[in-house]
Amino acid sequence: MAKNIIRMEQIAKTYRIGKIQVKALRGVDMNISEGEFVSIMGPSGSGKSTLMNLIGCLDAPTSGRYYLEDIDVSQLNDNQLAAIRNSKVGFVFQTFNLLPRLSTFQNVELPTIYFLDKIKNKSKKIYEYIENVGLKGKEKNKPNELSGGERQRVAIARALINDPTIILADEPTGNLDSRTGEEIMAIFQQLNKEGKTIILVTHELDIAHHTERIIYLRDGLIIKEEKIDKPVNARETLAKMPKIEDRINSEA
Amino acid sequence: MGSFSENIKIAFQSLFLNKLRSVLTMLGIIIGVGAVVAVMSIGSGAQDSVIASIQGIGSNLIIVIPGSSQEDMGALNQFSTANKESLKLEDVEAIKKYSRHVNGVIPVILSAAPVTYLDKGINASVYASSEDAEKVYNFEIERGKFFSKSDVANSANVACIGPTVADKLFSDEDPLGKTMKVMGRNFKIIGTIKSKGTNMFGQDQDNAIAVPITTAMNKLYGQKYLSMIIADTETEKDIDIATEEMTRIIRKQHALKSGDKNDFSIQSQTEILDALSTVTNIFTITIGSIAAISLLVGGIGIMNIMLVSVTERTREIGIRKAIGAKNRDILIQFLTESVVLSLSGGIMGIIFAGIIALVLNKYSPITATISPFSILLAVSFSTFVGLFFGIYPAMRAARLNPIEALRFE
Ligand SMILES: Nc1ncnc2c1ncn2[C@@H]1O[C@H](COP(=O)(O)OP(=O)(O)O)[C@@H](O)[C@H]1O
Ligand SMILES: [Mg+2]
Repeated sequence: MAKNIIRMEQIAKTYRIGKIQVKALRGVDMNISEGEFVSIMGPSGSGKSTLMNLIGCLDAPTSGRYYLEDIDVSQLNDNQLAAIRNSKVGFVFQTFNLLPRLSTFQNVELPTIYFLDKIKNKSKKIYEYIENVGLKGKEKNKPNELSGGERQRVAIARALINDPTIILADEPTGNLDSRTGEEIMAIFQQLNKEGKTIILVTHELDIAHHTERIIYLRDGLIIKEEKIDKPVNARETLAKMPKIEDRINSEA
Repeated sequence: MGSFSENIKIAFQSLFLNKLRSVLTMLGIIIGVGAVVAVMSIGSGAQDSVIASIQGIGSNLIIVIPGSSQEDMGALNQFSTANKESLKLEDVEAIKKYSRHVNGVIPVILSAAPVTYLDKGINASVYASSEDAEKVYNFEIERGKFFSKSDVANSANVACIGPTVADKLFSDEDPLGKTMKVMGRNFKIIGTIKSKGTNMFGQDQDNAIAVPITTAMNKLYGQKYLSMIIADTETEKDIDIATEEMTRIIRKQHALKSGDKNDFSIQSQTEILDALSTVTNIFTITIGSIAAISLLVGGIGIMNIMLVSVTERTREIGIRKAIGAKNRDILIQFLTESVVLSLSGGIMGIIFAGIIALVLNKYSPITATISPFSILLAVSFSTFVGLFFGIYPAMRAARLNPIEALRFE
């Protein structure tokens, strides 16, 4: 059996806003093994983003234990967490979160400037990763010169550039039309096939059906898990979908 | 951690993104640094030229002027009301005779008079003195010779002329041997004096002639008293004892009793230089404080704009942290930005001061020199202002919680 890459024991997270306490997570147990493609589903406010932030070491849990590759993350300080985010985690956000003033190349380069080790042939690697997400020729474009789908591809290339252990995608298709969303899912499936561990948050069931396992979250607790025996193949779905030109024609 | 050049690049990018805002922010620094550097250039320029003009006279000098000294201003206070006629040629003779530590001593009468040759004329400074002035006063003869002991003894109508006089009256002609008129009297030109340049008041020191003291007293002005007596010593060590000696001799010459105040004042060159540098230092300190205040205001402006910048870029900070920037990386990024802002202001200030100095040098008698020291001072000051006023905003940026920052709209 594959190695356990993420192990969470009774993880709880309480936000405090003045006197009000919001219990975003209330005791989550979760295991994810290397090479898995998992989705986390749940209604808005159920704690999905909070869970992602904890997995990605952006935040520390209020209580509970979290092991990432057998490192007890709950014991680490700010700098150590930053180093883990930089080298072991790749984030993809719903709103892309690119730096608007930087070009595609510079955005993808960004994680490498905080990387502890020297990357050999850095710019060659950056060009390669940009090409892999299908953006060859758009290296110099600023985010506002790219479509939503293209921006998300930049974000994916940025998430991959330091060769992280896990990819965390929080509603990566939420701001995209269904065809573009399907294209993004195709990229994730390809990455997973190449061995990347991917955790994806969504509230759309058909997106979740592209993954191997669905974890259902509600009010800060895992209420159900579901194995998907035959995940939807995004590439095949795309082939059946009308092309952009067809859509424009049919709308006319 | 992010590389240094990367931070510099980011800093310049954000400065260029808000050009107008950046320049307005830098204004305080530009004015502050500009004022400091400009004042220092004028201060040291003026000081340099005063020192040069005083040192140009000679070295190890002791200067005696008529009138009792008032407080410490002594030699500077040329308008003292007391007896202006107390110094006589006999005082010089007595010093020559009795002093053992004085090397050379000369009588001086300084005035201005019209000098003409044929149809050309000029108003020149007239230095009347003895043959020893060549050494003591540092007159360097370019061609011909200085007047001699016998010229002085005979009240000879001879003169040496400065380059400006030579130029104005004779242009291409050779002035040597020519006869010119000083206050309507004929003087034969026996030598030309090397250029001494301009002094701090913008006076052309080359627009001058030198004549024997006796000739001036007997034939030009009909006066029996001197403007000053200048003496020099062999070495600097002798100055104090020679000053005492001269005081004693002159007092005896003037028949002053033990309780009487000196009817002259005596000061060494170094004392005069000290007094002058005190004046210029006060000037420098005053303007320096004004400049310090504008640097303070400029620094607060930088702090303000950096706080705005941190708020505006909260999301950027969140993104950077999410992809692995450490608190220190963010701190250095914003600190670099404030230093770049302030340093750019400083450099513009230096350029601004440079322009002021150029204008002053060209259109006013003041000489301004921008020293490497003042540039170094300006650069380190503006770096310091950037660091000092940038640290708080940068710390705020560094301490932002990445999640909160990412949620920021
Ligand atoms: N930084 C925060 N401060 C305060 N409350 C928060 C914060 N982040 C999330 N919450 C609250 O925690 C709960 C879970 O939020 P979240 O994890 O964003 O849910 P989801 O992503 O599933 O919509 C919500 O009630 C939300 O309002
Ligand atoms: Mg969410």
